[in-house]
Amino acid sequence: MKEINERPVCHRAEDLVTYLYDEANEAEARDFANHAEACDACRAELAVFKQVHESISLWRNEALGAAFNTAVLPAPAVAGPISIQTVRPERRLSALGALRKFFSVSPLWLRAATAFAALMFCVLAVLAISRSWNKPPLASNQPKNNAYSQEQFDTAVANEVKRLMDERKSKNSSASSGPTAATDKPNDKNRPPHLAMNRTQPKVHPRGLSRQERVQLAADLRLIPRDEDELPFVFSEEPNQ
Amino acid sequence: METATSDEQMVERALSGEPEAFGEIVRRWERRIFALSFGMLGREEDARDATQETFLAAFRNLRGFRGDAKVSSWLHRIAVNQCITRQRRARVRSETALEDEAEKNAAVFAMPMDGSPARTVEKLERSVAVRRAVSALPADLRQVVVMKEFEELTFQEISEALELPLSTVKSRLYTALRQLQMRLKKFGE
Repeated sequence: MKEINERPVCHRAEDLVTYLYDEANEAEARDFANHAEACDACRAELAVFKQVHESISLWRNEALGAAFNTAVLPAPAVAGPISIQTVRPERRLSALGALRKFFSVSPLWLRAATAFAALMFCVLAVLAISRSWNKPPLASNQPKNNAYSQEQFDTAVANEVKRLMDERKSKNSSASSGPTAATDKPNDKNRPPHLAMNRTQPKVHPRGLSRQERVQLAADLRLIPRDEDELPFVFSEEPNQ
Repeated sequence: METATSDEQMVERALSGEPEAFGEIVRRWERRIFALSFGMLGREEDARDATQETFLAAFRNLRGFRGDAKVSSWLHRIAVNQCITRQRRARVRSETALEDEAEKNAAVFAMPMDGSPARTVEKLERSVAVRRAVSALPADLRQVVVMKEFEELTFQEISEALELPLSTVKSRLYTALRQLQMRLKKFGE
């Protein structure tokens, strides 16, 4: 840039900046242009100030980006206040854009707090999901709760056999027991194999009937199921004799 | 201002219990106030903080807004005061450290790599020089330059915002341009 400080300042300095920034009306602009042709100081300053203005505009545009890339100078015909609407960007931000913009001008503590809240939300969500997965489904428990366990079944059979043995014993004490044992034997071969496991139950009361007899008796009284479908038993019923 | 609802009407609505009305004022003016703050402070982060503080101060003092002035002038005055206050505080803390950091940040922020390395370096140096030259101006000259160059306000608008005579605004800008020219001689030819 040319050195101008040594030059005398023209008395029309204010007109110069008005002309430089195109804020002079038509008559004023023509008048100053005529003056500048004759005034070396004004002509030189005009050229140098344009360079300064361009440098600042370059910096501004680079720093603030394309959003502020308006005209380097206002249009010459424009007189009076600039319409703000011509400069202000009118685009509507999307929700995401507005959010991003909000965070871009938010202080650091607000960004950190929001990030922390989001993190906590994610952690709680993961915990809730994992808990719901670990909880056993209620529907699958229902049938198991209603069914008898093997132990309950064995105990019930043993109790019922015991009760019947006691009754039978009291009957046998008054009548002979020979024919009964003889008629029971042939049927023993027809027993299904799975009933053998119940033959040990009557050991609680070894007196009176033999093991086979007790099992046969329990089967006759329908205390031992032949099939799974017969469960559950009603143990309180009196046996048919 | 040629908008459907004027800024002054929006202030009235905000005062009558519509906070969204003030939000609309923020939306209308935040870019310009940011530009002003950036020009005054030279740093993006500082400019953002100053912009926020400007609108917060405006909201707190909404009842103190005089209806005889424009909202834009009022906001600009607040913004200029915020920037000057921030600069004073920064000087008290550590001017050199801030300056170095600001220079570095401004350079990174400003420079797209769109040309040859030599050209990019030249542009970088020029931008740094301009920023430094503007920052070195006295506050009363700097605010006029920034309002004119960054916000493209008219002399009349600057005069209203700063509550200065029109001729004073023009003479300040003229003086500022002369000082800037002296500092930017290196890049002239």
